[in-house]
Amino acid sequence: MNEYLATFHTHLAALKTHRSLSAARITARMAPVPRKISSSCGTCVFYSADDPCYDKLDGDTEAVYALCGDCADLLREFE
Amino acid sequence: MEKKQNFFKKYWLVMLTGLLVGAGAVVLTAFGNPKNMGFCIACFERDIAGALKLHGAGVVQYFRPEILGIVVGACIMAFIGKEFKPKAGSSPIIRFTLGAAVMVGALVFLGCPLRMVIRIGGGDLNAIIGLVGFVLGILIGVFFLKHNFSLGRAYKQSKVEGLVFPVMLIFGFVLTLIGGVTYFAFSTEGPGSMHAPILLSLGIGLIVGALAQKSRLCMVGGVRDAVMFKEFGLLAAFGCIIVAVLVGNAILGNLKWGFEDQPIAHTEWLWNLLGMTVVGWGCALLGGCPLRQLVLAGEGNTDSAVTVLGMICGAAAAHTLKTASSAAGTGDNGPIATIVCLVVILIISVTHLKKEQ
Repeated sequence: MNEYLATFHTHLAALKTHRSLSAARITARMAPVPRKISSSCGTCVFYSADDPCYDKLDGDTEAVYALCGDCADLLREFE
Repeated sequence: MEKKQNFFKKYWLVMLTGLLVGAGAVVLTAFGNPKNMGFCIACFERDIAGALKLHGAGVVQYFRPEILGIVVGACIMAFIGKEFKPKAGSSPIIRFTLGAAVMVGALVFLGCPLRMVIRIGGGDLNAIIGLVGFVLGILIGVFFLKHNFSLGRAYKQSKVEGLVFPVMLIFGFVLTLIGGVTYFAFSTEGPGSMHAPILLSLGIGLIVGALAQKSRLCMVGGVRDAVMFKEFGLLAAFGCIIVAVLVGNAILGNLKWGFEDQPIAHTEWLWNLLGMTVVGWGCALLGGCPLRQLVLAGEGNTDSAVTVLGMICGAAAAHTLKTASSAAGTGDNGPIATIVCLVVILIISVTHLKKEQ
């Protein structure tokens, strides 16, 4: 199981992604975006899954990071 | 214990920023800014509107350097941290409208959320009533956020687009200095005539802007994050501002507890409460308090710049239409304007609820 963090262009996109992940029984929680990731004060979703679950993310997803301890590796940036 | 250490490790910067903002407010007051108004984003933007002759209230006209300092300080810090990322396109005219409504509400209460906190630090108990209204407004906003409210996403823009607003402010500031009383207005009495030396105001504004960009200090974010995510860092910064102002005022002998005869404040509790409800609700939908809007505008977010312009126009309208309060009480049209603003924000809230796909 891996840890991921997804950031979004809107709070609503975070909300929808959280619902979508939870519906698929993937452990997920919403939180303010960590400062080291972005200066934006938006909402992100932390989740634990075998893969980044791109198909479960909302269309307004900004980026997905793989978490490893204190570090966050950018996996994919969306337009 | 470990949890406590983690909390301070995680939030030390925003808490330090809160302390320095509070200290900065006390210093600005000691050097000439009106009492309990070391910082007030709403009042200062209203003063700028007055300086540009967008309204005719002679006692509140001065191009406040603090506003310029905050935007430019945030802009410089964003460039240093490679975080100057211009974006725009998230319902700009709705944001303009919300900005104007927030300003009308703030001028009924007589202060933005930052001044509300500073007023509490000066012992003004009317601001506690305002705080109740502010929290109530944010809770209503959070309700709509949880039920699919969205103003839509913003899109990447050019660097030039992001720089226009900071440059516009610098240009306006220099122009008022050059043009002087021939073209612009400077209060000779009242709150607008009371100000710290220009370089001190500018310097403290720059520091606050830079720190607020780095720490994401936000009055609305504190309550929102506590309610939605049980995260208390920004709320702790909120408390730090009060502590710093309380201590500063106590040292300078400016601490006076009570409701009556507070500096630039009135005692009409219902309108203090509802005025700040407008502010809390509007800012929750906007995603940040008036200070945060300035900082985001400095980072290149032109939706926030449009919000600030909405606030400036809202201030002009508030004084032209006599909705702004004074120490004597609410303006002639203050109560009706507050209700209109609540209705407008309700309409915006309801019409921006997105359907589940």
